[in-house]
Amino acid sequence: MKLQAQYNRITIVSTLFILLIAAAGYYFLLRYVLTSQLDEALKVEEAEINDYIKKHESLPAPTVYKDQRISFEPTAGAGRRSFKNLGTFNPDDNKDESSRQLLFPVKVNGADYMVSVTKSLETTEDLVWIILFSTIALIVLLTAILFFTNRFLLKKLWQPFRNTLSSIKEFNLSAPAAITMQPTKITEFRELNESIRMMAKKVMKDYQSLKDFTDHASHEMQTPLAIINSRLDTLIQEPELSEKSMQQVQGVYKATEKLSRLCQSLLLLARIENHQYTVTQLVTVDELLQEKTTEMQEWVNAKSLTITMDLHPLQITMSHELADIMISNLLRNAIRHTDAHGNINLQTNGHQLLISNTGKTALDKNRIFARFYKSDYSEGSGLGLAIVQHICEQYHFTLGYDFKESQHCFSISFI
Amino acid sequence: MKLLIIEDEPELASSMMAYLRQENYICDSAGGYREAMMKTESWDYDSIIRDITLPDGSVLQVLQDLKKNHKSDGVIIISARNSIDDRIHGLKLGADDYLVKPFHLSELAARVAAIIRRKMYDGNNTISFQEISIDTMANEVSVDHKHVELTGKEYQLLLYLISNKGKVIPKNALMAHLWIEEMGYGESFDFIYTHIKNLRKKLQQQGCRDYIKSVYGIGYKLTDK
Repeated sequence: MKLQAQYNRITIVSTLFILLIAAAGYYFLLRYVLTSQLDEALKVEEAEINDYIKKHESLPAPTVYKDQRISFEPTAGAGRRSFKNLGTFNPDDNKDESSRQLLFPVKVNGADYMVSVTKSLETTEDLVWIILFSTIALIVLLTAILFFTNRFLLKKLWQPFRNTLSSIKEFNLSAPAAITMQPTKITEFRELNESIRMMAKKVMKDYQSLKDFTDHASHEMQTPLAIINSRLDTLIQEPELSEKSMQQVQGVYKATEKLSRLCQSLLLLARIENHQYTVTQLVTVDELLQEKTTEMQEWVNAKSLTITMDLHPLQITMSHELADIMISNLLRNAIRHTDAHGNINLQTNGHQLLISNTGKTALDKNRIFARFYKSDYSEGSGLGLAIVQHICEQYHFTLGYDFKESQHCFSISFI
Repeated sequence: MKLLIIEDEPELASSMMAYLRQENYICDSAGGYREAMMKTESWDYDSIIRDITLPDGSVLQVLQDLKKNHKSDGVIIISARNSIDDRIHGLKLGADDYLVKPFHLSELAARVAAIIRRKMYDGNNTISFQEISIDTMANEVSVDHKHVELTGKEYQLLLYLISNKGKVIPKNALMAHLWIEEMGYGESFDFIYTHIKNLRKKLQQQGCRDYIKSVYGIGYKLTDK
């Protein structure tokens, strides 16, 4: 649930609740206050009637004046003084209307009378209702205003947060640009932005030093490897070396070469990640593919592979060196992993490159482009496809792998 | 032939010197920029082999100084960096060749030989070994003046063997020289075997003696002994 919806729900429900209770309370309070006012007026009438009786020793004439009626009734014995609400019939308006009545006993010349003073409640009721309706109208209006202000104000208030969020989403560790935050006046968001900026800076710094480390380590390893190679080159000149010793040396040569290639591959990955290949040019993929196939022809012949080509012009803008590496790696991969007498199919169209080769079982789609992933019998370094993927990522190409009809199919979409 | 090797790693410098001395080059070594400058000022070298990542003195500085003294000929840069940009950068600095670490000494010898050939034999680009002679300008090979038709790879192979005559050349070095990046991890040394076999056959067809010896499966050696 969105923060705004949650907030709206809580504020509006609580506001409504409080306001409704308040309205009810208000209604009763108002009624009480108005009724007591009316009662005061009735008491004043009572006092006036008592004064009149004291003075004249007779009952005043019963009166109907405006909304006030006074009447007398003889009773046996003294009655009790009481207030009550009545729903009396008003013959003037020809309708029922509620009124407030005060009954009190008087004694005139020894005879007991019950005096009733009745005042119409109509104006009071009207007043209460008007006040109540206006209060409810106010509640509705208030709630609506609250709802809309919440909606727009909150949206506006949280805008910096949303900006920050989109900055984080756009943040790319391998991109050279630092994270950009829109300035905001709100302290909390400023703090948030500052923390994120610091964190991103630190992460980028760590990442950079990791990449630099790979770069340096790979370089530093080349010199010892050169020493090993040169020592071996000198060693094998010794005429008294036995065949067995020579075979040992051959093993060391192989391992040295493998290590050297591994370093070179790691170096290449680091360089791609560091965006060091900035010079781009128009590369004609189909021509490059043909060129590379010719270079590897000997290898293809040795394995008796059949290469079929369906090449249509395909031009992309990228570093020529990386294009060369990308295509060489894919092609070398296909040749290496196709069994003798197998097929390799190369295809290009306006926006896509497809390299497929015969294979037995599908490879793990999720891990195939990971570093050091390779099948058990592979002679490769396990970095070839990882390099291809890094190159594709740098240029936002889509690299895909599929296995169907006994064909490993690698595709690069250039759009 | 007088060579100067500028390399701060003594182990590597001594291996390079020992190997090149056997090729009858006179070798000097310098461990750093100052020593190198001193030596180049005192002596004339036919080729200078230098490490691009020396601790003292920038690469640019050494090459500029050499150029100023008109001693920039025949510089081979040795570097751990192998990207095309680095190579181009090295060559732009005035180097004649660029060798990537780790390298085989036979490769170094072949590069040195090529540089000296370019430098020394103006107009005469023929190198020979017994009855074999190679015209390096025309890329033609003949045995006792009889033309031998070789493929590009066979020609390179022969030139490489002659540049390292009398030395055991490991198959890895031959692979690296002929195919460089194209193949992975000595995918199969059969390619070398096939090329050597064809080269031998073609030379022998023109009456050449068999000088190419296989050494215990580790490599080959061109020798007249």
